[in-house]
Amino acid sequence: MHIRIYRYDPETGAQPHMQDYTIELESGDKKLLDVLMRLKNIDDSLSFRRSCREGVCGSDAMNINGRNGLACITALSTLKEPVVLRPLPGFPVIRDLVVDMTQFFAHYHEIKPYLINDDVPPERERLQTPEQRERLNGLYECILCACCSAFCPSYWWNPDKFIGPAGLLQAYRFIVDSRDTATAERLAYLDDVYRLYRCRTIMNCTEVCPKGLSPSHAIEGIRLELVRASS
Amino acid sequence: MRVFVGQRAWLLQRASALALLLFLALGAALLLVGPPLTYERWHALATSLPGAVIIVLLFAALSLHGWIGARDIVLDYIHSMPARLSVLGIIAVILFAIVIRVALTMAAHLSLVT
Repeated sequence: MHIRIYRYDPETGAQPHMQDYTIELESGDKKLLDVLMRLKNIDDSLSFRRSCREGVCGSDAMNINGRNGLACITALSTLKEPVVLRPLPGFPVIRDLVVDMTQFFAHYHEIKPYLINDDVPPERERLQTPEQRERLNGLYECILCACCSAFCPSYWWNPDKFIGPAGLLQAYRFIVDSRDTATAERLAYLDDVYRLYRCRTIMNCTEVCPKGLSPSHAIEGIRLELVRASS
Repeated sequence: MRVFVGQRAWLLQRASALALLLFLALGAALLLVGPPLTYERWHALATSLPGAVIIVLLFAALSLHGWIGARDIVLDYIHSMPARLSVLGIIAVILFAIVIRVALTMAAHLSLVT
């Protein structure tokens, strides 16, 4: 299999370049990450993040043949050769396929990704009806791999101010949570030309999400909640 | 006070889009229904009070829609504040001038001003 990988090592001072690798596939090679880990054995200077190797941790997000995805759940049989691997677009590169996620997580923290409820906690738990719980489906599954935000042109243009699809999906997850009491504050924070309204409904986020979630719908949901709140 | 608002602009953009759609439907109806759209018929329409009001409203909606769209593009691509304000200023003056010009022309047709 022919793989071209973006290489950059800030310690050498050299410009980033594409390096070609050719590797024989073995019977155990099913996903792209399998091959990457064998390449790492051959060339230990190659850097990438990975952890759970089953699409749960979100570490190995990268740009695979022009599309963001998780190497661990990308089947080799679906890839056209040469397989071109680049770091997540729009993110500062630390080394090879490893990007700096500082700003991405700063946006995540900005939306207060935790339940806010100052009422006295009940003895056991805050109950929800099945309908209330249903509203969290399609939102809570996000693994923060950044495939969506790194595929969003609006996020490329204003990464410092626009929260981005991942952060907004998480924001909506807490806005619709029946147990959360800070909905008004959350909405007021998002009613901003940059934080929320940089979204142009390009929908790359929904198109590329490896977990099949739809940040576009969450963003639309926030806008509608804002309309409801102001009327 | 926030200079660049969020929700209000978003709502106005959608409202003006709906207004433009309505005007488009009106225009299509004019073309399809009734006698052929000759210069005389256009002139009569444009110099009637309802016609003139609709034309001014059409340009107002178009300018408003264009303003929000252009503002969005400027916010995306032009990050230096002086450059941004200059470009926004130029766009605002042009769009405003278009609406004023149309309003004055229509008023002149209706002999409201000479």
